[in-house]
Parts: sequence; structure tokens; C-alpha cells
Amino acid sequence: MKPFTFTLRQEPPQRVDLSALTPDRLAGKSVAQIEAIELGVTRISTKVGDLFKISEGDLKTVRYEGGSSRFDLLGAKLLPGFAIHVEGDVGAQCGRLAKGGRITVAGNAGPHAASGNLGAEMEIKGDVGDFLAGPLAGELAGMAGGRVVVRGKAGERAGDRLRRGILVIEGDAGEDLGARVIAGTILVLGEAKGRIGYLNKRGSIVLARGGCFGSTYVDCGAHELTFARLFARSLRDHSAPAADLLSRKLRRYGGDTAVYGKGEILTAD
Amino acid sequence: METATLDGKAIALGDAYKHAAKILSGAAFPLVAGLGADVAGARAAILLAERLKGAFDHLASRETLADIDVKRSFGMFTTTANEARLRGDCVVLIGPGLTRAWPGMLERLALAEPPRRGAQAQQPRKVIWVGPEGEEANAVPGAKVIPASVQELSGVLAAWRARFGGRPVALGAEKVALIDDLVERLRNARFGVFVWSASTLDPLAIEMMQGLVIELNATTRFTGVHIGGRSGASGVTQAAGWMTGFPPRTGFGRGYPEHDPWRFEATRLVDSGEADAALWISAFDDEKPAWSRADIPLITLAPAHTSPSRGLFIKVGQPGVTHDAVLMSQETGGMTLRKASAPTDAPSVAQAIGAIMAEVSEGAWR
Repeated sequence: MKPFTFTLRQEPPQRVDLSALTPDRLAGKSVAQIEAIELGVTRISTKVGDLFKISEGDLKTVRYEGGSSRFDLLGAKLLPGFAIHVEGDVGAQCGRLAKGGRITVAGNAGPHAASGNLGAEMEIKGDVGDFLAGPLAGELAGMAGGRVVVRGKAGERAGDRLRRGILVIEGDAGEDLGARVIAGTILVLGEAKGRIGYLNKRGSIVLARGGCFGSTYVDCGAHELTFARLFARSLRDHSAPAADLLSRKLRRYGGDTAVYGKGEILTAD
Repeated sequence: METATLDGKAIALGDAYKHAAKILSGAAFPLVAGLGADVAGARAAILLAERLKGAFDHLASRETLADIDVKRSFGMFTTTANEARLRGDCVVLIGPGLTRAWPGMLERLALAEPPRRGAQAQQPRKVIWVGPEGEEANAVPGAKVIPASVQELSGVLAAWRARFGGRPVALGAEKVALIDDLVERLRNARFGVFVWSASTLDPLAIEMMQGLVIELNATTRFTGVHIGGRSGASGVTQAAGWMTGFPPRTGFGRGYPEHDPWRFEATRLVDSGEADAALWISAFDDEKPAWSRADIPLITLAPAHTSPSRGLFIKVGQPGVTHDAVLMSQETGGMTLRKASAPTDAPSVAQAIGAIMAEVSEGAWR
């Protein structure tokens, strides 16, 4: 059955909050009711009908024909079993606190993509902004489950306070990759700039190219890790280059010894 | 010079207030930025932002939020400068430019004198300065100076914390011995104090340092003194806190305060075109906005000696100079009244905004 589709009429004049447009929250509403939902976050009203042409379909899958860097909170609190596809860009906090399901974005995503993700599978074909999977201001933990694959570049502080789950960045990563990581895995296939893994407690950061780890990462030698190869097999369908990286001999740096020392940075040897 | 100008040409003050109200009421999402003001000015500005359903940001928010981020997502030990002066037997100054960020620091902390209270009273104060700049290295007689660039500070703190916990670092034996010696001094302090400014220390490094403070507190007492941002940042943040529950970078677009350090950052709001009118307040020193768009309708409240060639300009007095002002004091860690040293009859920020507010009718934009 064809997906429930929102076709973009025009770029919104202001940021909009799309958290109301997840499948479970649309269920049982008529097209007229949906068109009347308020999306605006400023004193200028922006309703669904002002921005989108709706064509009804199976609510299991919601499709956006056209995106915008002003689409905030798209797919927030998404539930397992549902899917959202965006043929375009999204704004801040895409997939925020998603419990499950699948979100694919054909364009770029703004800051705090996958923030607090609890189990959703996300794929972003373009670049993402700062704080990928990170907590919002004042929160204690970042992403706690799920898998996020970014085909392009990531901004600063990717994987901040990651608690569980897998982050794959196929392009470059900005400054302070994997800062304050509690646990979980981050793989970067491009270059990682600046400080890496500062205050990392128990997380694994895997880098295709070396980087700057500082004195609180201690060289533990090169290893053929059985678990990494098993892990590679499970990642093969989602990111072949990441799977290739994990299949190689990896040099392990233990750290950040400033905090706990149970984390690690693995680099292709 | 004129007290109010429009595009460089003199305009009557009353007309200027009316014109400012018209610009701000007509905007879809107006911004109150700069916010370099005393507490009364900040209160008026935040009320105006709320009335207009706009957003507000302070010009030193980056620094203020670096400290607040650690405080709210990790925790922070702090004390007042006076407590540090009275009891601090081991004072660790971190980073360059602390005397620039707080010109009265050396005098207030009395680093050359022994502490007067506590277990180490009348014993010489141990002072350590990591990465001082220029003359700061000689500013405190007998201080141990550890040279480090701004980029190296976070690594230095990390290495200290690793060695404090007895964990390994990837450094030569000689360096490790130096760090171990220093860490021993911290451990033996009876009332230790870190002093830093977020203008040179990023939030992650502050978190690293505060983590070390927590660990030191298992066996001794250790705390911190943070140096607040410029242009009244600490006082404005306090006012924002009691008025909205949030620090600057807060918006009222939906009729209630929402705090988002990314969404409501003034420079981003202007450069992205989301904010379509701005009120810029810089009453202390006439600092200019950092955004690059020159076409945004702009109202400037500043004590400028030359009026800007573009936009509406209203001359206001300087807090604590031309007007009595309540300001957050770095010296005492509390609000203090600073009496005007050279009073004039120019309007204060609060008076100017009050006059603009009087011209903004409730719901006029609907």
C-alpha cells in the first residue's frame, strides 16, 4: 500500500515543530483535522495545510516529498514498527527520543539528530550538524539505543554522552568526537578533527584514520579482535565500509584514563 | 552628539521610541540581543521579549553557558572569592587572561598573603598558575608557573586527573614524576580552589576539572571560583533565571519560555533570517553585534560617542557610571548596588525599554 505522504508546498517562513506528525499521533484523524494541526513555534501561525499537500495512505509509513532545514523534531518519539522517509533536508532534533522504527533522510540533518534515541534505526544520506545523538542542554545522557548511519560528515561533539547503540559516520567528524561517552560504539570512516574521546568512560571509538587522542589514551597494541569481526558481519548490510574497517587488524588505545580507563579508541593498523 | 538618530540623522527621542516599537511589533520573530545591561535593564528587556513573543540572548552567552552546561549536566563545586581568600591554602589558576577577565582578581584573592582561617591559617599560600600569559607569570610572588597554551589546558587537566586516580598516561617518566608531584600538592591541600574563566576554558575541560574536584573532595576540601562573562553576564543570567527559569538563549514564540542554546543563539537567528528585527543592547562598552547580515531592521541602545550610520540608535547611560546600577559582583558573588560615578540625564536601559514597551500595545501584531 502506498505511504501517507506530505508534499511540501513551500519552504516554511519560520522553524516548525513536526513532532505532531508521527504515525501514531496521526492515526484516527481526518485530512481536515491533520491540515489544522499547528506547527509554528513563533507568533506567526503555520498549519500543516499551509505547508503540505496531503495524500492519504498506509500510516505505517509516512513520506515527506521535500524537506527543509527548518523541520525540527521530525520523527520525535517514533514508535517501533513505523517508518518515516524524508526526500530532502531536516532541521534540529530529528528522531529525538525515538523508541524504535526507521527514519531515513535523503538530504542533510541539523544539530542534535538522533538526540536521546532509544532504539530507532536512522539513516542520513547527507551531513548532520553538531551534537549527533547527544543530549540536549542539561540532560544527563545521550543516545541510549538504536543505530544511526550518516553517509556524509558530522559536526562537532558527535556521540556526546552516548550511552548505548551504534553510530556510523562515513564522512569526516568535527571536533570533540565521542566526548563524555558512557558506553556504546562510534565508527568514523573519514577524518576526525581535534580532540577525540575526551572524558570517554567505557565507549568504543573506531577510526579509519588516526587522530589526536592526547596523553590519557594508552597504546595497548594491535589485535585481531574476534568480536570486531562478528560485529562487522552484523553491520555489513547497513554500512559496508564500516564492516570492512572492523574486519581489519585494529590498534587499541585504552582510555580516557582521566575518568575510568575502560573505554577505547581502535584505529586501523 | 544626538541622543537618538535614525540612519545617522537626528530624531526626537519620543519619535525614536515610537519607531522602535513599530519595528519590533511588526516583526514575525523579533530578537532582543546583546543584553549588556544591569539587572533593571535585563528585567525590562526580557519582559519586552516576552511581550513581543521574541527571543533574548546575551553577548557573552557562549562563556556563561559553558559554565552552566557543566553545572546542569554534571555538577559544580563553587565558592565565593572571599571564601577563597580567607581559607584557600592551595589556589590553582587555570589559563591565560584571568586578570583581563577580572581585573580585581589578584587584589581580591590576596594570593601573596597567607589564608586567615582554617587548618592552614597563617601558613604560606601555595599558588599554581597553569598557562598564564605575559606579566601574569610574575604577578604572584612564589607562584609555581606551569607553561601551557590554551589548546593544551584540557590535556593538562586530563593528565592530572588520570594520575590522581593512579591510572597510566602516555607520557615520559620525567613528566609523569612532575605531574605526580603536583597532584600530591593538590591532595595535601586542606582547602583547595581552582580559578578559571570560560573565555579560555571550554565546557569539556571545565567538566574534567570539576570531576577532579569531586574526586579530591573524597579526602579533602576542594572547590572553584569561576570568573563571570563580560557586560554584566552573571547578573543578566540571574535575572533571566528568576524570570523565566532559564538562562539567555530563551524564546517566547509559543507564549511560554523555551530554552535552546542552538535555536535562540542571536547570531544564528539573524544570519538565518529567522529573526526579522533586532534590539541590540550594549550599555557597558558599546560592543557591536557579531552577526554578518546588515539588512536586518536594527535598534541600538548604547552609550556610543558616534551614532551608527544605519538603523535606529538611542543613547543610553552606562550602568554604574552614569546611573546607579544593581550588578552581580565578582568580588562578593552577590548582587551589589554600584553608585553612579558621573551621573547624566541620559535614559537608563530600563527607562528606554520601558518607553518602547509603552508604545507596544498588547496584541497589536495580531
